[in-house]
Amino acid sequence: MSDSTTVEQEDALETQEYTLNLGPQHPSTHGVYRARLRLNGETIVSCESIIGYLHRGMEKLAESRTYAQFAPYTSRFDYLAGALNSWGYALAMEKLGGIEVPERAEYLRVIVGELQRIASHLVMVSSMVIDLNAVTAWMYAFTAREGILDLLEEVTGSRMNLNYIVAGGVTEDLPEGFTARAEKTLDELKSRLDDFDRLVSGNEIFLGRTRGIGVIGRDLALEYGMTGPNIRASGERLDLRKDAPYSVYPRFDFEVPLLSGGDSFDRYYIRLLEIHESVKLVRQALGAAPAGPVRAKVPRVWKPAPGEAYAQCESARGIQGYHLVSDGSVKPYRMHLCSPSFVNIGVLPVISPGLTIQDFVSTLASMDIVLGEIDR
Amino acid sequence: MFGIGLVQGLYTTAKRFFMKKVTQRYPEVLPDLAPRSKGSFAFDADACISCCLCSDACPNGVIKVDYSVGEDKRRRLELYRMNLGYCLFCGLCVEACPKSAIVFKTDFDLACFRKDDNLFAWKGPLPRPAAAVQAPAAADAEAVPVAPSGGSPTAAGGGS
Amino acid sequence: MGTLNDLFLTLASAIRGLLALWGFPPLLAAAVVDIADFVLVAALVTVNIIVIVWLDRRVAAFFQERLGPNRVGPFGLLQSVNDAVKLLGKESIIPVAADRKLYKAAPLMIFTVTVLLYGFLPYGKGMAPVDPDLSLLFFIALSSMTTIAILMAGWGSNSKYSLLGGMRTVAQVISYEIPMAFSMLGVVMLSGSLNLGAITEAQRGVWYIFLQPLAFVIFLISSLAELARSPFDMTEAEQELVAGYHTEYTGMRFALFFMAEYGNLFGVAALGATLFLGGWQGPFLPGYVWFLGKSWLLVLVILWLRWTFPRARLDQMMKFNWKFLIPLSILNILLTGVGIKLYQYFTAVGR
Repeated sequence: MSDSTTVEQEDALETQEYTLNLGPQHPSTHGVYRARLRLNGETIVSCESIIGYLHRGMEKLAESRTYAQFAPYTSRFDYLAGALNSWGYALAMEKLGGIEVPERAEYLRVIVGELQRIASHLVMVSSMVIDLNAVTAWMYAFTAREGILDLLEEVTGSRMNLNYIVAGGVTEDLPEGFTARAEKTLDELKSRLDDFDRLVSGNEIFLGRTRGIGVIGRDLALEYGMTGPNIRASGERLDLRKDAPYSVYPRFDFEVPLLSGGDSFDRYYIRLLEIHESVKLVRQALGAAPAGPVRAKVPRVWKPAPGEAYAQCESARGIQGYHLVSDGSVKPYRMHLCSPSFVNIGVLPVISPGLTIQDFVSTLASMDIVLGEIDR
Repeated sequence: MFGIGLVQGLYTTAKRFFMKKVTQRYPEVLPDLAPRSKGSFAFDADACISCCLCSDACPNGVIKVDYSVGEDKRRRLELYRMNLGYCLFCGLCVEACPKSAIVFKTDFDLACFRKDDNLFAWKGPLPRPAAAVQAPAAADAEAVPVAPSGGSPTAAGGGS
Repeated sequence: MGTLNDLFLTLASAIRGLLALWGFPPLLAAAVVDIADFVLVAALVTVNIIVIVWLDRRVAAFFQERLGPNRVGPFGLLQSVNDAVKLLGKESIIPVAADRKLYKAAPLMIFTVTVLLYGFLPYGKGMAPVDPDLSLLFFIALSSMTTIAILMAGWGSNSKYSLLGGMRTVAQVISYEIPMAFSMLGVVMLSGSLNLGAITEAQRGVWYIFLQPLAFVIFLISSLAELARSPFDMTEAEQELVAGYHTEYTGMRFALFFMAEYGNLFGVAALGATLFLGGWQGPFLPGYVWFLGKSWLLVLVILWLRWTFPRARLDQMMKFNWKFLIPLSILNILLTGVGIKLYQYFTAVGR
């Protein structure tokens, strides 16, 4: 008797779902990303991703610039890991035109590419913790990133949007005394990273916010075609630098970290581990780079034979692919970017139901998306 | 339940509290930039041969080279204009120049109050024929980025 | 040193004497002294807020390896003045759909509560401006009134973000009042009185932080939650709710919320100093200097906690409170009771 009364009482307590727009102007959506959430109280019932707020028409723009002129624009796709974007584009151009890259240039590409990867991962871990209001930890990681950006400025002249990796090699050689300064910066980076690790990774509050939150199983990740650290945190060992190596990666001794939890904490922690691996790579490359030219001669007016080329590169966020179609003229007929963040956010509407808003913020931060490459 | 992780965090912040601060007291202390640092541009008008390779290389149509062709068929630079408001600071022009007439400087404080202050112009070295110079009007200020064009010859000369 | 210690008391009795000399009835003289007390307390609130705003930013910067405000005045001390003037100059924007009465009343109410709280603190021996027998109870009761003000702000703004923030705050503040009160019960049992002055007097021998370490930790954690400070500040979580219950407030009304938060910060720190650190007790320096010094020390500890930890999730915070803190504080009461009885037994036996 009492059971049926309780059931009636529960039916009488109706709640009303409401819609909340997270973004596009929001302090923690990592760019102009809009998530339309249907909420019941604080729990998400459904989530709809709405993108396009940063669309700049880059792929159309590529059709009215020559191949070399478009290279500076490629850094603006994933602006946090610009050198890795330029690398992918350079690979596509080299494949299209059959350009050989000198050996020293390959080593320099690895150095700058991995330094850029470190900088990008530092942004990810720090923006994840600042979304959880650990402001001091954010500051430590950004101060560490300043050291890396100073190194990049010494080599390329810019801190961001480097325009250093071009078809045929790199634009300039390393300056004098770079190796010593790089070693010093990498040591300081390690000390700051240790502080960051101590401040965040063992913190019970942080663990409570990220352990078991936003779990992406290995099968789900494979089904949605995720790449990069996100899928490596879910247990699938997929890294282009090991599986389909390009450049001189086979010559280096480095590990690809692998975690199996697939929750937000694993996606955060794997990036810390990857920073350590990248530091190893930079040190090895600095030591092993042979002497020689750094740039192959590419004609100023370059007309590749009609055809197409697709080249992939392991960017900080996943596998980035460039598809170039040439019709024999100086300008590409079509340039398409296959961006990892665009693929990665596809899984968000699947894992969001059941999360609270706070969990959603934490999960979104752990996916590490950059709207520049999603919207192009 | 709550324990070691929190205490370690407190110890880390307390340690950093007493360490040296990284703030640079700008503008009393200016940053020590690398020599290759890309700031604004230095242009050597004497070295320029008006080949227009720089303006061809620029993705955004930042550079406009005004030259005149004399009787000896040689090009003479009249005016070299750059609209830094559209510049990507990519350095393709610096790479393209065969005479290193345009190079980067390391000054970084390029912020200005009006869009017109983004326009940089350098006059050519030789005396200009009085009647023939097409002085760039202020209306030119809204340089729309077009597909890279060559130089714009003045009325006295031809060809591009 | 005695004169410096009794400075304010001597001043008060001097004023009373003077007024009596001029023919004022004693009630009126007392009223004048009370008004002077109020002015002093209001001045203290203002000075505290100004200094804490500066201290918060400076301390935060030092933890983050940077300098903080250092341009406006020496060491950036005039930064708070800068902020106040800026906020005064802002346009007062009231959302069209807002409930105007609630919207306007909320910041007034919350700041009034803050000023009221300062009246009960014992700044020195006999120097609490308002000194009923149950001053601790008054303090706790008054500090609960902030809940109503926050709910008024959240509801009156008529915005989803504000409502979410307001509801979260109410849940959090009401829940954490329980362990806060229970942790203070241990102190009350030891001193035998609910009067803040009497509690301070009873710490002449040993400060209660040594006798009640567990209660101190519980008090610190629950006061962080009462103040809605990090790591329990999801009510004003910028990264999630834009600004919680004060999203729709601008200019001076926002400044009042701001000032109330920092004012409460000092108030709770002062309460902690009174209950656990011995209040005005201390050698050499006048009592009020000790009192202020200990309060500032607790303020620094709270700022240290704020700038180190990330934010807890709402339901985890609730779980932590109901399943861990409250049983722990009840355990503390049990241990205190047992301890008192044992102490009485042993001292009786020893005699």
